[in-house]
Amino acid sequence: MSTRAPQEHPVSLLGGVLSYLVPGLGQIVQGRIGKGLLFMVSLLGLFHLGQAMGDWKNVYIPITAGAREDERFFEPKNQSRSERFANLHHNLYQRWQYLGQFWIGIAAWPALWQYFDMPVPADESQRFWRNLQRAPSEAEINNFWVNSDKTPDLGWIYTVIAGVLNILVIYDAYAGPAHPGDPREPKKDKQPQETAA
Amino acid sequence: MTLPLSMYAQLPILIVLISLVYSATRYDRWDLILGEAFRWGSRMAIFLLAIGAVLFLVAYFIDAR
Repeated sequence: MSTRAPQEHPVSLLGGVLSYLVPGLGQIVQGRIGKGLLFMVSLLGLFHLGQAMGDWKNVYIPITAGAREDERFFEPKNQSRSERFANLHHNLYQRWQYLGQFWIGIAAWPALWQYFDMPVPADESQRFWRNLQRAPSEAEINNFWVNSDKTPDLGWIYTVIAGVLNILVIYDAYAGPAHPGDPREPKKDKQPQETAA
Repeated sequence: MTLPLSMYAQLPILIVLISLVYSATRYDRWDLILGEAFRWGSRMAIFLLAIGAVLFLVAYFIDAR
């Protein structure tokens, strides 16, 4: 009688990196297409739903560290990229949610793009892309939160949940599932004892 | 533009998604994934319902005073 042995999953750094970039991509490349699509649709859907619930203003890195106190109510966007890089940990401390959102991969990179003041479309017709994951001004934040219900609050929680769940997905792509076989099946190492004739 | 959905309407979706994704990182076989997702989804739903019931009772007794 043969029992189905659990399939050993080789460690795959490429799978882990791909699943970081796009949730589920590592699993798809490894041939676990159904699981990969489940991760991709679920996590990217959850992340973007969360952003939409927060009016696309809840994934960003603020620029507060290094700014003078009176500048914080305006736009302290006059820092150089190297200054922003040096202040990144201070700014992430002000907006710790991004540390969870970051793990969703490329979908959270526009916040870094905006933080480092990289070029964005100047055209007014592409306003959505120009402002995607840009840190809103203090006045914008106050105006939005005062005039909204609890939905935006739930929105940023969705984005953080999606990012943190993707850490599990990255690990699954890197090292395989936590239980490669069926825990209900008998273990292989139990050999029947030989009886002396 | 904010999505015009009740936050309570989205709770079941959130429970289903989290259970499925978590379970899919535990197993590779779909029967095991779905079974584990059902167990985790049930646990989360019961946990949240219990919290909701406790808060409802606390609010009820505070109002009744």
